[in-house]
Amino acid sequence: MTDFNAERRQTMLRVDNLTHRVSLETDTLTILQGVSLEINRGESVAIVGRSGSGKTTLLGLLAGLDTPSDGTVELDGSVISKLTEDERAKLRARRVGFVFQSFQLLPALTARENVMLPLELAGMESPEARARELLERVGLGERLNHTPRQLSGGEQQRVAIARAFASDPVILFADEPTGNLDNRTGQSVSDLLMELNREQGTTLVMVTHDEHLAARCGRQFHIEAGILTEPEAARELAD
Amino acid sequence: MAAASKLMSVRRDWRERDVRVVLAALIIAVATVATIALFASQLQRTLVSSASSFLAADRQLEAENGREIPGEWLTEAQSRGLETGRMVEFSTMVFGSGGFQLVSVKAVSDEYPLRGEIEVQDAADAPRKLVGSGPKPGEVWINPRLLRLLELNIGDSLEVGNLNLRVSGLLIREPDGGFRLSSLAPRIMIHADDVPSTGVIQEGSRVEYVYLFAGDDGALEGYYQWLQSRLEPSHEWEGVRDGETFSRSLERAESFLLLGGSLAVLLAAVAVAVASRQYALSQRDTVALLKTLGVRSRGIGKLYLRRLALWGLTGIVGGLLVALPLFWLLTRLLSNVLERPVEFYLDPAALAPALLTALVSLFAFAYPPIRRLRDVPAMRVLRSQPGEGGREALPDFAIAIIAVFGLVWLYAGELSLVAALLGGLVLLLGALGLLGWLLVATLRRVRGGGNAWRLALVGLYRHRRASLSQMAVFAMTLMLAATLVLVRSSLLDDWQAQLPPDAPNHFLINIAPDAVEEVSAFWQERGQPLNQQYPMVRGRLTELNGRPVKEAVSKDERVGALNRELNLTWMSTLPTDNEIIQGQWFDPGQTEGVSVEAELAERLGLSLGDRLTFTIGSEKVTESITSIRTVQWDSMRPNFYMAFPPEGGLTDMPATWITSFYLPTDKKTALNDFSRQFPTISVLEIDHIIDRIQQIVRQVTQAIEAILALILAAALVVMAAVVSATLRDRQREGALLRTLGGRQSLLVRSTMLEFALLGGFAGVLGVVAAEAAVWALQFRMFEGNFSWHWQVVLPVPLISAVVLALFGRWQLSPVLSVSPMLLLRRLE
Repeated sequence: MTDFNAERRQTMLRVDNLTHRVSLETDTLTILQGVSLEINRGESVAIVGRSGSGKTTLLGLLAGLDTPSDGTVELDGSVISKLTEDERAKLRARRVGFVFQSFQLLPALTARENVMLPLELAGMESPEARARELLERVGLGERLNHTPRQLSGGEQQRVAIARAFASDPVILFADEPTGNLDNRTGQSVSDLLMELNREQGTTLVMVTHDEHLAARCGRQFHIEAGILTEPEAARELAD
Repeated sequence: MAAASKLMSVRRDWRERDVRVVLAALIIAVATVATIALFASQLQRTLVSSASSFLAADRQLEAENGREIPGEWLTEAQSRGLETGRMVEFSTMVFGSGGFQLVSVKAVSDEYPLRGEIEVQDAADAPRKLVGSGPKPGEVWINPRLLRLLELNIGDSLEVGNLNLRVSGLLIREPDGGFRLSSLAPRIMIHADDVPSTGVIQEGSRVEYVYLFAGDDGALEGYYQWLQSRLEPSHEWEGVRDGETFSRSLERAESFLLLGGSLAVLLAAVAVAVASRQYALSQRDTVALLKTLGVRSRGIGKLYLRRLALWGLTGIVGGLLVALPLFWLLTRLLSNVLERPVEFYLDPAALAPALLTALVSLFAFAYPPIRRLRDVPAMRVLRSQPGEGGREALPDFAIAIIAVFGLVWLYAGELSLVAALLGGLVLLLGALGLLGWLLVATLRRVRGGGNAWRLALVGLYRHRRASLSQMAVFAMTLMLAATLVLVRSSLLDDWQAQLPPDAPNHFLINIAPDAVEEVSAFWQERGQPLNQQYPMVRGRLTELNGRPVKEAVSKDERVGALNRELNLTWMSTLPTDNEIIQGQWFDPGQTEGVSVEAELAERLGLSLGDRLTFTIGSEKVTESITSIRTVQWDSMRPNFYMAFPPEGGLTDMPATWITSFYLPTDKKTALNDFSRQFPTISVLEIDHIIDRIQQIVRQVTQAIEAILALILAAALVVMAAVVSATLRDRQREGALLRTLGGRQSLLVRSTMLEFALLGGFAGVLGVVAAEAAVWALQFRMFEGNFSWHWQVVLPVPLISAVVLALFGRWQLSPVLSVSPMLLLRRLE
């Protein structure tokens, strides 16, 4: 029993037989089929797959941005599909961070204001100092008051990373974080992401088609036509 | 290029939300302006025709010199396609079986009345009916009071001069029964052909020939041009707009309609400007792509110009398709109100402003931002460029302002209107600048928290640029709508005040000095107290500073007042609705001096200290002008050009007294007792005139309400266009906030609050600017006094806050119903 609880505490994300379908005009399309996985606290995991393989949909379901057709997702002890939309929002505000391929910064807001956004939503009293600290950490201490339009793609993604870590999330979801960046900038952004992840002890779940980036994660899953496999685990099993 | 054109086909265009908004704005612009212009023209024609019946024609020519006009004048009018008619008015004694009575005779030709109808009764107890022509030769219609005064019955004969006429009806109301003190005696109406046989009119008799004309405006104007040089001073050409009681109401209604139309133009222009700017912004990527594919700047310019022309055409056709049924509905409404059919007439001249509005809106508002698309660098394909700054938009703004105010000027023809609106707008923008500064200064200190209020304030601050420009548009829209509401209420209040339900509707004239007290007691007993009684002395103004007045005043300036006897009075206190504009009112005990009515003083060039000599009977009275005062001619109370102090120059002159009072319809029988007891006193019943004026006011009010509703709808559309311009950004932000953990309820509350604040601020600004504009307008156009209109000042910001909060909520709905993941992807 004790072992079971300890194991529960160790598990950050548990997915059981997850299936997701969308209704089209004429028929139903199955995007994910019978996905099961477990990710422990502090682990970094990459989900690798080609465009259209269902990886971004999986990420959305894991993060509680959407609800699955079947199966369960348990995030940090909460079964997401049993939560109301507001409860899921609360969960996201306190424990989840996001980094998107297209950065998703609000154009009217400065870098600092963009980073302050999740802190304000979480009701933090003086979010400014924390935002400044994080922007300095990602190397943008001089550009606090610049709007996204005045920043390069790499800089914008750094702001997004600072925003993702602002509310001290326990888990970070990254959707192709270097997908819109050149190799070199991508490299430095992924370095920063990995570093911060290590420093903060955050669990990282990253979706990417970039094998090199995936290789920097502790575990890798492959997804194809909605079916998830873990090559290393399969190899271990074979061994 | 062909490929590029294909890329930008209309069908593809239509799929773009911004294009749909531009087209909707254009359609609304054309529809609103066309409906208002058509309806205003229709209303004006209806009003003029119903007002024309006050003259029984469109125009009257009065000859007060006792001579008929040359026959060729009438032939000329007929050759110009005008209808003509003739009447003769004079006073004479008539004899019936019961005695004799001084009456005022109106002899009319077959054509009378050219406009309106005569109300008659076949017998004292028969129902009233409307007829389209006067009595036949050999017949006479008489005022019902004569039945009793002369002990007559229907069918009896009445002796008018040498002629015996058969009493065939009772004359209840003449269409041109305007209020004239000269018509003191009871009225009879006979046929004009009978006049010579009566033998009453002799050389030197006091008689007035009146000629009636009706036809279209152009022909009437042309005839007047022809006639003008032939008219003598004793001839008076009267149109609906001259001197009649209701004419000011009519002019104000017209001004209001024009103001409404002008505001519709402004609102429509704002909608087009907002939507097309948004469209231009959304087109930058397409333009950059086209340039990359080799299309040159000129080609881009042509492409968009062609598309603009296509939109213009769609706007005009679509707008007219909306306007016509709407106009049809309004004419139905109008004919219901008037209880008579109103023809559905499409005045081509009224459609011109709508077309002009479409073109100007398109080229002054939609074109500038779209023209600048030529300058979008191809580089944009690779890297997004900074968006348009305010500086580039400044010349656009200037062009737009000039264009739209030019349009308003052209449309309303009132420079003061343009100035007032422009002034209000400048004030608005100034206040907006100040508010913007305050917003930045105060809200920057607010830090967001989980609380909706703080998030809303932070939102306002963060989006300050968008917030301020949205606020500018909202405030302007509200200012225009509020201006209209304010002008409408002040117009209606004015009318109500002018004709309160208990406005005097009967005059008593010819009261002998020793009967004054008795008459007063008679009505006091019946619960209908009289207004103040004034003595009245009839006299002519004959000399000015010792020179005969006909020499002293140039021929052009000679006015009717010099040709006829004036009613002179004396009074100790200034009537409440008179106002001294020069000099001083009589001191108690003062016995010298005369007070002159302002308009007459101006026309005769009189000033304080001028000596006026009046001939009263065989006596002459000379007094100096001690004050000049304005008079409310439409107050339905006795009014006088000349007033003397009590114990002044008039005291010893033979005077009769005059007064007015209110008598409700159900007490009208008291008039019979009164006439029996005071047979020499004339009762002038003007209750039907007041009814008519009130009826016109009601019609105009209805029309104004309908047009106001249209304009408010247009204002709402402008607001929707502005809000939907930022729809995409707002939705994206909403989706992101939800992703980052914002609860739905928090999102809804903070967004609604943010919009409510925006609406509230805009409402306050708009209302203040509207008050300023109305204040300026009232000075010039509506002659009212300034006061804060709390009934508008308070609710407008509230309503605008609520409406915008609902708009905000509406914007959010897709964000709330779809998974944030899906929405972020969709909006990417």
